[in-house]
Amino acid sequence: MTLRTETLPSKFHGAVINWREAYLPDYPLLMESWEKFFPTEPKFQLCAFRQMGMCTTIECGEHTGKPKHQKASEMAPETAHHLYGAIRAQASTEFGSIQQHRLTLARAQNEEEQFWILRMMAEELRHGYQMLHLLAEDDWTSVTSESTEQMIEGILSMNTGSHLLSAFNIDFDSFVDSVVFCGLIDRVGKYQLSMQKVSAYQPMAESMPKMLQEEAFHLAAGVVPMRRWVTRAAAGDVTITVSALQKTINKWLQRGLEMFGDERGGASNVKMGLKPLKNFEAQQQYRDEVGKLVRDLNLRHLRARCPNLTIGNAEKTLDRILAGEVLEGIGRDDLLRLPHADFFRRRGTPAFTMIGRDGERFDDVNGYAKHLAQNLPESYLANRDFAEYLDLLGQVVRGETTAEVASAKSPALRRVGGACPCSKAVRWVVDDPSPNLSSPALASA
Amino acid sequence: MSSESQVLVRQIDDLDISAVVEIDERIAGAYRPEVWERRISYHLRRDPETALVAEHLGAVVGFMLGDVRSGEFGLEEPTGWIEVVGVDPRTRGLGVGRRLAEEMLARFRARGATGVRTLVEDERGELVKFFASVGFTPSKLTALERKI
Repeated sequence: MTLRTETLPSKFHGAVINWREAYLPDYPLLMESWEKFFPTEPKFQLCAFRQMGMCTTIECGEHTGKPKHQKASEMAPETAHHLYGAIRAQASTEFGSIQQHRLTLARAQNEEEQFWILRMMAEELRHGYQMLHLLAEDDWTSVTSESTEQMIEGILSMNTGSHLLSAFNIDFDSFVDSVVFCGLIDRVGKYQLSMQKVSAYQPMAESMPKMLQEEAFHLAAGVVPMRRWVTRAAAGDVTITVSALQKTINKWLQRGLEMFGDERGGASNVKMGLKPLKNFEAQQQYRDEVGKLVRDLNLRHLRARCPNLTIGNAEKTLDRILAGEVLEGIGRDDLLRLPHADFFRRRGTPAFTMIGRDGERFDDVNGYAKHLAQNLPESYLANRDFAEYLDLLGQVVRGETTAEVASAKSPALRRVGGACPCSKAVRWVVDDPSPNLSSPALASA
Repeated sequence: MSSESQVLVRQIDDLDISAVVEIDERIAGAYRPEVWERRISYHLRRDPETALVAEHLGAVVGFMLGDVRSGEFGLEEPTGWIEVVGVDPRTRGLGVGRRLAEEMLARFRARGATGVRTLVEDERGELVKFFASVGFTPSKLTALERKI
């Protein structure tokens, strides 16, 4: 299998470098420290990688067996439109996650974990670059009137609050967010990339293998620190507790479920050969996988708290505790659990239905707000995103709006200035004046 | 009826750490999660496609970690290195190690490797026997060491 290396035309490449200087200012530190943290590992390279020798016939949907599309113009308009949306959404998530991680990177308690996240951010930048490359190398005039410059500018000017998927419009409040996000939200990314690996659009399929390889580490950059944290929590370390981890899981898992799209949708993508699974099927597999992660963390915690447990009895002890017994002084509430799939939802079938963490139903907004406050990170409660959710929930419950309308509005942070450097982020480095690009910064301000 | 054909080999992922810890514990009698968290993280960063687990009836029953390197020990040609292999003792006889080795060698070949090497301690007779059964022969390279 051969990897082909490609770069964007210089002005777009330069725009990504400019973006990196604004949102990933620790990149030079990563490069300087590479040998220390990642000796013997190939150094990071900002480019697009394309896997050669992949399947050239459509692998799912009604055109299975026919040659894959090499160009967007070869596709049916509806298929090209879906594909264009998927590429923009993928690009948005890659750049968006860097904007989120940068807020809390400095708060890492452990230098190794900090550099894992920093490396992961650089690789997300490469993934965004890969998606921009798909936009730049093909002709998308059949689905958009935007020029390549406008498409790329539009993506690079997005910020937390204006990204296409909700999970990327929520600011991080702590490094716990950063790590849990890797373990949960990057896991959704793995599903999307895996599904796109069989895309009927050959350039998309060829872009996926290297991204998937890098994504495997991004998940570990979340899961391994979480495993270490539950061990520290077991030893009584007050700087990280099971409760803090549980609340952060409650905050992000539901956003991860919503990233698969409405539970009732996805059939078109399957039919067109762009993805092999409908939304609900992929979402269900994802939730099961997170369930396994939670069980692993519980087992790690349990064995750290009870060193006398052995391989033979640890699993059984865990099962008995989860069933309600208190053993070795540990009860069900001392361990992590998967929140109900309908808890704290604002998109999809259960949007704004006031379902509690364990599936209990609430009838009034105040009672539900209190329940959420008990089960979400304290730092998040003061976040504008949560306030807007409660406001929309109230409107839905009072009948002032519908769940569908409220879903479409959230989350929608609005940037009003502050420390955000976005107004300087998007600048074309090559002087190539275009009337449409005269003030790119205003697009996101 | 259990058989080699029911053994599925796939790339390792972050959720296999617990299973690898468990297999190691069954083999070595020591619970060492920190070791495997670090080691598997390394392989996931470097090249997850040459870090494999074997599943039997839905459970992970074996693992093999390796990678392709060039220019080490004066060996310029790309060489596949098998660093560690572990099989759940309860599933011995199912051909788990063989299936892992076959898949690993195929992946090494796909990465341009023309040879594969590993180091085994003399007293691990069972391991030496396993590698011999999948075609390994003693190397002309000599492993040297000294205390410092």
